[in-house]
Amino acid sequence: MRLAPAVLALTLVAAPALAGVDAVLDDHVLPGTAAFAQATQALDDQAIDFCQPQDLAPLWNSAMDAWVRIGHLRLGPGEQAALTIAFWPDARSAGRRTLARMIAAQDPMGVHGDDFPQVSAAARGLYALETLLYDPDFNGYEPDSYSCTLVSVMAHDLATQAAALDAAWREKFAPELRTAGQPGNATFLSMAEAERALFTALHGGVEFDADQRLGQPMGTEDRPRPQRAENWRSGRSLRNLTLSLESLHAMATALAGHPVDAVDSAFDAAAYFSLAITDPAFQDISDPQGRLHLESLQGRVRTIGEVLISEIGTSMGIAPGFNALDGD
Amino acid sequence: MGSRRAFLAGLAALAAPLPSWADAGNPRWLACAREADGGHALFGLDTAGADTFRLPLPARGHAGAAHPSRPEAVVFARRPGAWALVLDCGSGARLRQLTPPEGMQFNGHGAFTEDGTRLYTVEQRASDSQGFLGLWDSDYRRIGQIETGGIGPHEVLRLPGDVFAVANGGIATDPTDRTKLNLPTMAPSLVYIEGDRLAEQITLPADLHSNSIRHLAHAEGRLAFALQWEGDPARTVPLLGLHRRGAAPVLAMAPGPEQAMMQGYAGSVAISGAEVAITSPRGGRMHRFSLEGAFLGATTRADVCGLAPCESGFLTTDGGGGILRVEGGIARPLGLRPRAWDNHVVTL
Repeated sequence: MRLAPAVLALTLVAAPALAGVDAVLDDHVLPGTAAFAQATQALDDQAIDFCQPQDLAPLWNSAMDAWVRIGHLRLGPGEQAALTIAFWPDARSAGRRTLARMIAAQDPMGVHGDDFPQVSAAARGLYALETLLYDPDFNGYEPDSYSCTLVSVMAHDLATQAAALDAAWREKFAPELRTAGQPGNATFLSMAEAERALFTALHGGVEFDADQRLGQPMGTEDRPRPQRAENWRSGRSLRNLTLSLESLHAMATALAGHPVDAVDSAFDAAAYFSLAITDPAFQDISDPQGRLHLESLQGRVRTIGEVLISEIGTSMGIAPGFNALDGD
Repeated sequence: MGSRRAFLAGLAALAAPLPSWADAGNPRWLACAREADGGHALFGLDTAGADTFRLPLPARGHAGAAHPSRPEAVVFARRPGAWALVLDCGSGARLRQLTPPEGMQFNGHGAFTEDGTRLYTVEQRASDSQGFLGLWDSDYRRIGQIETGGIGPHEVLRLPGDVFAVANGGIATDPTDRTKLNLPTMAPSLVYIEGDRLAEQITLPADLHSNSIRHLAHAEGRLAFALQWEGDPARTVPLLGLHRRGAAPVLAMAPGPEQAMMQGYAGSVAISGAEVAITSPRGGRMHRFSLEGAFLGATTRADVCGLAPCESGFLTTDGGGGILRVEGGIARPLGLRPRAWDNHVVTL
């Protein structure tokens, strides 16, 4: 009987993966999708009675905060949902153009909740709402106007999508991740595959912060693109980046099962460099000093990605897609 | 004289039955893979997805051609290919190493004639990427070549009656690597070759000229082709085409967001019963369509690319080592191997 503790220890060692996947789901993913569903529901509730920017901006910001914390979860139900909840980057301003056309034509699809999910993805979700609430070309609408109804319908569509996303994670995809490797699970044939899928989302989130959240406004040295900054009209560009990195840091810790010094240092360094950013909307990118600060921060964010691969990814046997990269 | 030799050979043939695929464990499929130690090998797979043989390869393979009767597989190197190996899958012997003529490169695919007396290899001229089918006799001696009428051909498929369909990808590449040289002017085509004659040629509408036609499948007079988009990544375009001889091609796609998830890239195509499927390793998903091109559904699986018809559905392989059977869109794992399956599964 004295053998029992040793046997137990061996069993635990043989299955170290489970803790990481469960921890990511229980401490990060599911609280995050629930918070997003709740925040968008609050926005929807308010938008039933009040539709003007001053009525909705705080709740839209709360919803945006909640999304940024889970926006990197582009796997399972999050893969497609991201396209219609968060249509960004939108280099061709498809969202603004579609909304302008709909409003000019008083398109009935925009004011009928049942039809609205069929409008272009660019005119749905959080970023389309930002345009209506913050863009001076759009946000001067009156109560009882077409735009007013459009905002309510858009907020309801967003809340519906968020609830579906939360439910799909809870009821379907989280169980698939937890039962990885069990007979009948065709999505994840081993626990290592489940870990890899979560790691890919984590690493992809860091890349998104570097390449899109920072890279879009940076453009090229000859041609900075301040108006491509995420949420620049609402002045949230830096806030999004900060919240996203905080969330990714928490996910990394959960996935590793414990804090990892090198990972903590890499996230701390990026947080420190972000303190130098003076314009929360990145609109000073054309100024050499402003550009330098964004470039430095981007470098630190890229370093996070490298550290994640060496400190967490390698131990999970992470390799880039064999066929995805072959290109033939 | 020769007659005595022929007589002795005849005696030997009587004494020992001709080698057949039974000597290689009766595989249903062939597939290349990278193994855990970084080496590469060709595997035979039975209908349950189990290995029937394993033959080491000197480098990464792409696809292969299986001889219709002899247990011989020709494995092609990745583009730009300098070699193809003829392997006896029963004994494991390396029968031949094929080298393209000076100035030519293999392009990863090939096919035998129905009777197995000729091998057609897809090749491009290194200098200008002009496409050719190389012709080899049953002893794998080079006997000629046929123009494919396009640039950068990729897959060749034998259709009934020894008609050969070729996907001219349209992309000119650097002679030494895969650098793409002509994307603004690329013009892919699908051609049918009868004898040495280009019998029919299909092209895409002008605004889809950046959609490279690369992989092929065929069943009952219907050809399916898989596409890879080289144009503006923000555009969502069809990645599957269906064609009947003499008719206009039909392009098929999933509803908007689902189509976008394919990331403009289809890596393999197969037809099984009333369904046609394409895989996207970049999008981690397989799309199924009706034979008329109506979208039926998506099945997700990381780095999935290898695709073949099987009884009542499809077999898929992926870079994670998985082998799955997908029936009516429902995936069921057949196995998880310690290897990364390469792009294609060849059906015997």
